Amino acid sequence: MAQVAPADFLRTLKGAAVSLPGRLSRFAPAVGPTVAVVLYLVMYSVYAANESGALSLFGIGNLLNDTVVLAVAAAGLTLTVLTAEFDLSGIGVIAIANVVVATTSGGTAGWLVSLIAVLAVGAAVGLLNGWLVGVVRLQSLAVTIGTMIACEGVALMILAAPGGEVAGSIVNGLTGNVAGIPVAALVIVGILGLWFVLASTRFGIALYAVGTDENAAQLSGLAVRRTRLLAFVLAGAAYGFAGYMLSAQTGSGDPRASDSFLLFMYASAAIGGTSLMGGRGGVFGSVIGAGILTVMQKMLFALGAASFYTNVFSGIIMLVSILIGTLPTLLARLRPPRTA
Amino acid sequence: MTRRSAAPGETAAAMPDAPGRLRRLRNPALLPPVIVLACAILLIIATKLMNPGAGFGQQLAAVLVTSVFLVVAAFGQGLTILIGGIDLSIGIVIGIAAMMISVLTDGRDAALPWAVPLTLATGGAIGGVNGAGIALAGVPPFIMTLASGITFFGVGLGFTSGLAQEPVAPALGLLMSGHCYGVPIPILLIIAFAVAASVFQNGTAVGRKLYAIGSSAGAARVLGLPIAGLTILVYTLSGLCAAIAGLLLAGYSSAATLDMGTPLLLPTIAAVVIGGASVVGGSGTYFGTFAGAVFLSALGTVITVLSLSQGLRNVIEGAIIVVALLSQGDRWRQLWTWLQPQKRGRT
Amino acid sequence: MIGMTPVLEARAISKRYGATVALSDVSFSLGAGEVCGLLGENGAGKSTLVKALSGVVPPDSGAMHLSGAPYRPSDINDAHRQGVATAFQELSLIPTLSVAINLFLPHPIVNFAGTVAWRRLEQDAADLLGKYGISAIDPLAPVADLPLGQRQRIEIVRAIARRPRLLLLDEPTAALADREWLFQLIARIVAEGTSILYISHKLDEIRRLCSRCIILRNGHKVLDRAVAAMSDEEIFRNMAGRSAVDRFVVVPSSVRAEAPPALRVTHLVGEGVDDISFSLQPGEILGVAGLEGQGQSRLFKSLVGLHPLRDGQIEVAGTPRILRSPRAARALGVVLVPEERKSEGIFKDLTTVANISLPAIEGASVWGLLNHRRERTLVRPVAAAVDLPEQFLPRGITALSGGNQQKAMLGRALIAAARCLLLFDPTRGVDVGAKQSIYRMMRDFVRDGGAILFYSTELDELVHLCDRCLVLYRNRVVGEVPRAALTQEQILSLAAGHAAPPVPAAAVPA
Repeated sequence: MAQVAPADFLRTLKGAAVSLPGRLSRFAPAVGPTVAVVLYLVMYSVYAANESGALSLFGIGNLLNDTVVLAVAAAGLTLTVLTAEFDLSGIGVIAIANVVVATTSGGTAGWLVSLIAVLAVGAAVGLLNGWLVGVVRLQSLAVTIGTMIACEGVALMILAAPGGEVAGSIVNGLTGNVAGIPVAALVIVGILGLWFVLASTRFGIALYAVGTDENAAQLSGLAVRRTRLLAFVLAGAAYGFAGYMLSAQTGSGDPRASDSFLLFMYASAAIGGTSLMGGRGGVFGSVIGAGILTVMQKMLFALGAASFYTNVFSGIIMLVSILIGTLPTLLARLRPPRTA
Repeated sequence: MTRRSAAPGETAAAMPDAPGRLRRLRNPALLPPVIVLACAILLIIATKLMNPGAGFGQQLAAVLVTSVFLVVAAFGQGLTILIGGIDLSIGIVIGIAAMMISVLTDGRDAALPWAVPLTLATGGAIGGVNGAGIALAGVPPFIMTLASGITFFGVGLGFTSGLAQEPVAPALGLLMSGHCYGVPIPILLIIAFAVAASVFQNGTAVGRKLYAIGSSAGAARVLGLPIAGLTILVYTLSGLCAAIAGLLLAGYSSAATLDMGTPLLLPTIAAVVIGGASVVGGSGTYFGTFAGAVFLSALGTVITVLSLSQGLRNVIEGAIIVVALLSQGDRWRQLWTWLQPQKRGRT
Repeated sequence: MIGMTPVLEARAISKRYGATVALSDVSFSLGAGEVCGLLGENGAGKSTLVKALSGVVPPDSGAMHLSGAPYRPSDINDAHRQGVATAFQELSLIPTLSVAINLFLPHPIVNFAGTVAWRRLEQDAADLLGKYGISAIDPLAPVADLPLGQRQRIEIVRAIARRPRLLLLDEPTAALADREWLFQLIARIVAEGTSILYISHKLDEIRRLCSRCIILRNGHKVLDRAVAAMSDEEIFRNMAGRSAVDRFVVVPSSVRAEAPPALRVTHLVGEGVDDISFSLQPGEILGVAGLEGQGQSRLFKSLVGLHPLRDGQIEVAGTPRILRSPRAARALGVVLVPEERKSEGIFKDLTTVANISLPAIEGASVWGLLNHRRERTLVRPVAAAVDLPEQFLPRGITALSGGNQQKAMLGRALIAAARCLLLFDPTRGVDVGAKQSIYRMMRDFVRDGGAILFYSTELDELVHLCDRCLVLYRNRVVGEVPRAALTQEQILSLAAGHAAPPVPAAAVPA
């Protein structure tokens, strides 16, 4: 690293920024994540000022534990949103994953077996979605409503009522600390790390290209179908993992535990600046978005606000972040055009 | 969410414009709803066979009565989908309306004359807010209705402190259980509503303009159609229909909870899709949506009669949505046309 | 080329899209280092041929050989591997990605970890841009930030950088102001032995670059001959299937000079509209000419309120008006027939009759309920006015040919009692028969006292149809040519911004 002069390093960073998530075209899409980070810090400060334990290791670990499930699920969702498709199947996969973990994680290697099982189930659902949407070209909104309902049904068939038990190794292992660092923090950092690598792979670039202009992507020689298929498969695996994390939090199985997640998954992506039209945004923003939604609840609770404010605030924040995200586009329209 | 365009045959059919009635019957767009309706009737016959105690008429009536909520709410959903949008706040508006009517009437019929209009106006107003956000502020429909749903649910929680189960005005219950000349009143309601909705969507100038907006927003803009106004109108109607569904649901259950409409949200979308409409807008008929709603209701009845588990029921519903999509997809048609010369070639 | 295996040999290529035959039995060959022109009107099958050659769509039948070996590209990457690269007319760049990434799609250089090697990529991109003489372009800039002309250069450079044996250039100068850059580039790669299929409708380019040209008409190859051996007239006749001369009927001008102007604009200023003034009399066809992107599109849109204006005045029939929306403009009889028929014209899910009747739909309904008989009664006369056969009316509009779709668009404009039509390139992508119908409709419209503002990319249309012609250059009117002086050369020299604008007589030509 020593040979890299600061100027070169900056230039490399800039080069990366041009095609990295959320920094695609100058400042425009970067506004989303930036606003989100600022919002997060503001809410966190308010929360910390009103809650004595907020800055302790326990407080932070607690907050991250509450964030991590939504963050992982929203990260997966973002991959499909970037390709300009809907994916509502997430809550169905999370439900299956939760009941699978609650029924199979016993025994010595149970944690591993159930982990592999949930990732496989998620990827399989993703493969089905990806095939129907990416290859057969059915409308993603309708397809994933179908798979979501079916998945919730499968979850109910595995476990008709709340119950089952998640192995203690999972509960303790994933909600505790490793070397003084909350496991949830490691998971979030790991997801972000994976994303930053993924975003600069050929697949990552194809993800943005397909979401921006499918036709141009095709003419540029990118594998449009395969990109969409893979996006759905990875998203499915992420939902599976989110379900695994959820099981660690709750310690038991509940086929209906994830019912309310869908709104908040999309809210996370929207607050983080990912455009539902595809091609703009990224996982980083969505993770911050998930963080905002979680810290907001804590903040409101610390302020003593009634719980219903949480909903009102979530909705309003979602709208405000969208409106802020569209401002640069509106401003860009006012810029004088350049001609050849 | 933009690219899949419908095939010419299907599209032409979205507007029944052909002169003679005969031609209209041969209209390919009417085929999916007719098939769906036929499937619904087969399901009802199947229930009858499995449950010989009840007559066919009774079964039919039972299915129709339970379908009334979906028939009403899916109309609003169908309109938003027709103009290329979606309304994810329907479930919550149903819950809010049900809660409102029971809180306002508190079991007294005397309060209905002012409570009903107030409830309907609230539903319409929520829809209007959605429409305004979409048409004037440019928020994507998915996000706008999602966000307003979350927000108004919070507001509803604030007003009711999360309490459930208020007594509902008995007249509403009577409306859902009463008979008129031997016909259950809900069925009369369904018929009246379906006719009015179908005429609005497929027989008026406003309906035609909605098809135009959903078909090409760009062309609608250049043509000077009042896109913003019509968008607000559509979402207001959707909110209004959800509120009507909420009133009926409160009457039917003679109790209300704030989240009682949530399970109806996805079926409204499913009904529209099963009825043959494209999720990207511009096509489909209300007849299709109606058929989809009745079909889903019949399916629910069969599953109940078979006493299948809720899980299996969901799996079947989900699979039916996917199969309905597959049977309508361009790919399917391509495959079909691709198979034919092959067959001829071999023989 | 004698005795050598041709670089490309195509035999009996056919392609159908549903009922439309896009290509029918097209055969030709291309020698090494040869530049062959491909000419044809819009819809003649040029784009389909490009797509078949570049691996985007497989032909239904026929065979292709590259240097003697069978060539059946499975996709565009396969075509690249076999040495065929294409610069597409619609540009295949991803707007949100940087120039550098775009240049190396679909497989940018990656390092050991499978992630893009940013610094090397940028360096390579900068080298490539420098090598082809466009080093002014920042490789880090997102493509969306570049003007159209620079995007077109990147598209061309990307195709050339694949070092193809056969290069397909599809309308490469559509957005290029500096054509010499391309011509020099072509000379360079041809010298290296690359063969080029050059698609264009600009004859001067074909004459300058190509030794031979192929003409397609309605999907058939109608001509394959050395360019030098043919006159312009002969080429036009083969493209259009009739003599270029008898395409236009000369009729006396019907300008009503004494009436108040149907549309008069003074000092219009807005984004892309720079101080534009003109006056349009009833009975007049006022032409607008200009190279691509000189503000014509914005001018037309701003006249019906689709594009904001900062300053200026619009008078309709002698009264100052503010036209805030197409609706307001239509109420005053000013109707725009837009440029993009696909995205701004047709409603693809509606029938033809519904497409036409939409502006007058209230007139076809009783108490808000549609009356189909009334609707037909309303549509029938305008369909006749644009020569749209009645049997097409109940069909879905997408089942119609481009020409009939355009007739329906014009019918829609007429149904709303228009007094002033703004026609933006109405004959684009339209067959010869439909063109004649459109010309006739325009003449009838002005004869009856209507006024037309008419932009066209086809200069001969402007020359033969207009009473006067405005020429736009860089968002301004740089010249006004009266009918008597209207020639293609005159328009071109003004449009290129070279000649000093001649001062036209302010008077309206008689």
